[in-house]
Amino acid sequence: MKKELLIKEKQAKRTNPLAHVFDDFIDFCQSKSLFMLHYCTGCGAIELPPAMTSRFDMERLGIQPMVTPRQADILLVTGYVSVKTLKRVILTYEQMQAPKYVIGICSCTVNGGMYWQSYATAKKLNDYMPVDVYIAGCMPRPEAVLEGLQRLKENIKNDRKQQKGSAWKEYFANYDTYLGNQQHLFGDDWQTPVDIIAEAKLYGLEGEGTYGKNTEKLAKVQQPLLPQEMKL
Amino acid sequence: MRPENYQAVQLGESNEYEIFIGPNHPGIEGNYALKLVLDGDIVVKGTTDAGYLHRGFEKLMEGRLWIQNLAIVPRICVPDPAPMEVSYSLAVEEIMGIEAPIRAQWIRVMQLELSRVAAHLFTFGGHAATTGMYTPMYWGVADRDLVLDLFEDFTGGRVYSIYNIPGGVRRELPNGFLEKLSNLLDYLESRQNDYDNLLFTNQIFVQRAKGVGILSKEDALDYGVTGPNLRACGLAFDVRRDDPYLVYDQLDFDIPTQQAGDAWARILVRRDELFQSIRILRQVIEKLPTIKGPIRTPIPNPLSWNVRAGEAYARVESSKGELAYYVVSDGGDKPYRVHVRGPSSMHAVQTLEYLAKGARLEDVAQIMFSLDACPPEVDR
Repeated sequence: MKKELLIKEKQAKRTNPLAHVFDDFIDFCQSKSLFMLHYCTGCGAIELPPAMTSRFDMERLGIQPMVTPRQADILLVTGYVSVKTLKRVILTYEQMQAPKYVIGICSCTVNGGMYWQSYATAKKLNDYMPVDVYIAGCMPRPEAVLEGLQRLKENIKNDRKQQKGSAWKEYFANYDTYLGNQQHLFGDDWQTPVDIIAEAKLYGLEGEGTYGKNTEKLAKVQQPLLPQEMKL
Repeated sequence: MRPENYQAVQLGESNEYEIFIGPNHPGIEGNYALKLVLDGDIVVKGTTDAGYLHRGFEKLMEGRLWIQNLAIVPRICVPDPAPMEVSYSLAVEEIMGIEAPIRAQWIRVMQLELSRVAAHLFTFGGHAATTGMYTPMYWGVADRDLVLDLFEDFTGGRVYSIYNIPGGVRRELPNGFLEKLSNLLDYLESRQNDYDNLLFTNQIFVQRAKGVGILSKEDALDYGVTGPNLRACGLAFDVRRDDPYLVYDQLDFDIPTQQAGDAWARILVRRDELFQSIRILRQVIEKLPTIKGPIRTPIPNPLSWNVRAGEAYARVESSKGELAYYVVSDGGDKPYRVHVRGPSSMHAVQTLEYLAKGARLEDVAQIMFSLDACPPEVDR
C-alpha cells in the first residue's frame, strides 16, 4: 500500500516519459560504482579480506573499500553488535551521504545468532537502522558475501520499478521508531551530532512516523554541536 | 548521552591534543580503540579503550552444556581458532580423567600447526599494510586461503572448524589428504624467497620497522608477554617445548628467537616460526600413516553428560602466545566456571600502552599489528 503510494507520487511529479529513462540510467550508474565501508564489528570481518583480495576479487563487481563514512555508499556490519559498538555504528550510518545502503553479515545481525542470550549484544540490527540485505551464516563464505552484494546491486538497479533499493528513506520516514529503540538501549538523553529531523525536512523525506513521543524527548535534550575553538 | 570525542580536544593551555583512533579505522586491528594524547606527532600517553567486542563469553559458557560450549569457544579468537578448541577439550579431558587416542593427538597437532601457518600469513599482510605496503597483504591472504581450503577438506569449515571434542577428534582424515598437505607445504616453501625479497629484507619495510616499539626482556616479563613477542626479546620460552602437551615431546623443532625486541624482530620470529611449523607438519605427514587406531575415546551421551567435579588448567601455544583454559566443574551438566587466559589481553592493553608512549603517531598502528593482538580475545 505504502509502496504504491510512493510510486504514484513519483509518477505524479514526473509527467515527461523521458524522465524515467534518466531515472533508470542514474540507478544503473549508481549500481555499478559502489564504495563500501566495512565496520568490523565482529567475526565476519575475517572473510572480507579474501573477498576483497585476489582470489574472490570484489573490485570486478565495481565495489571498493573506502576509509571514511562520508564518501561511502554501503555500510557493511560484519557480525554481532555489542551495545558499545552499536552507538558507533549509528554515528557512522548517520554520517553517510544518501543514498546509503546497509548490509548485515552473519546470523548475529539477523537475530542475535550464537549470542542470543548475551547481556552485552544488540540482537536485531533492523531495529536500529534499515537494513537492505542480510547475509546469513556463521560466518558467510566469501561467495555468499559477493552474492549478497550482487543482490544489492540488482535492487539498486531496479529501484524505480520495485522500490527495494531505497530502505534508507525508511530511516527518515520512521525516525521515531528507530530513535525509540535507540533510546531504550542508550538512555533518554541519547543524541547524535546529525540532526535527522532537520535533514528530513530539508530534503522532503518526512513521513508519518518521523515525529512522535520519542522525538519530543530528543528535542528536550538536544544541543547543537558547536565547532571547537582552536588555540595556537 | 552524547558520545564524546567527535573532535580533537585541546588540553588546557598546553600544546597537547587528545585524539581517538578507532574503533573503525584502517590502522587498528579489529574493533578496538586508542585514546592518544599528542604533543606534535609524539604520543605523550596512550590509553586503550576495549570492550567493543564484549559478549560475556565466560558467563555464556556457564549457561550451556559441555558439548554446546565447543561451538562458541573458537569464536573467542577469530584468526586462530584451533588452539581454543584444543585447549578447552584438553581441560575437560583432564577433569574426566580420559585421554585422546594417539592418532587423534597427532591429528590435533596437525590442526594446530596449520592454524598457526594461516594466522601468521594473515599477520604479515596486516603488519606490512600499516607501513604502506599492500602487496604482502594480497599475497598473504591468497596463501592463507590455500590453507583454509585444506581446513575445509578435513573439518568441513573454512574458518571455524569445531573439529575437536573432549576425547578426540570428530572425523577421520579424507583420502589423499596428506598428499594435498604435502603439496601445499612444497608451495609455501617455494614462496620463501619471494616473501623475503618482498617484505622481510625489503628496505622500505625494514627502515620503518627497525627500532620501533622496543621491548626489553625484563619489561616483557613484567607485562606478562608470551609467544612470539617474548621470543623476539631473546627469551626462548615456548609451551610446546617447556610444558609439552599432546605429542610435541616426540617432535623435532627449533624455537626461533631474536634479540632486538622491536617490530622487525617480532615479524622475523613469526617468519621463522612459519617454517618451523612446516617442519613439524612434514614430520606429521611421515608419522601419521603408521599410526592406526581409533580417533576418539567414547564419552557418555552429550545431552546428559555430567562431568565429574574437579578443576583443570590446560595451556597450549597459540600463534599469539600462551593460551589457557581454566575449567571448574561441580559435577553438573554445565561448567561451573570457565576462565580464559588469553595472550592478547596482556599484549593489546598494557604492553601497547607502554610501547605507544613516546612513539610517533604513524608508528602506533605498526606497533599494534606487530604485537599481533586479537581484539575479540581481549574483550571476550
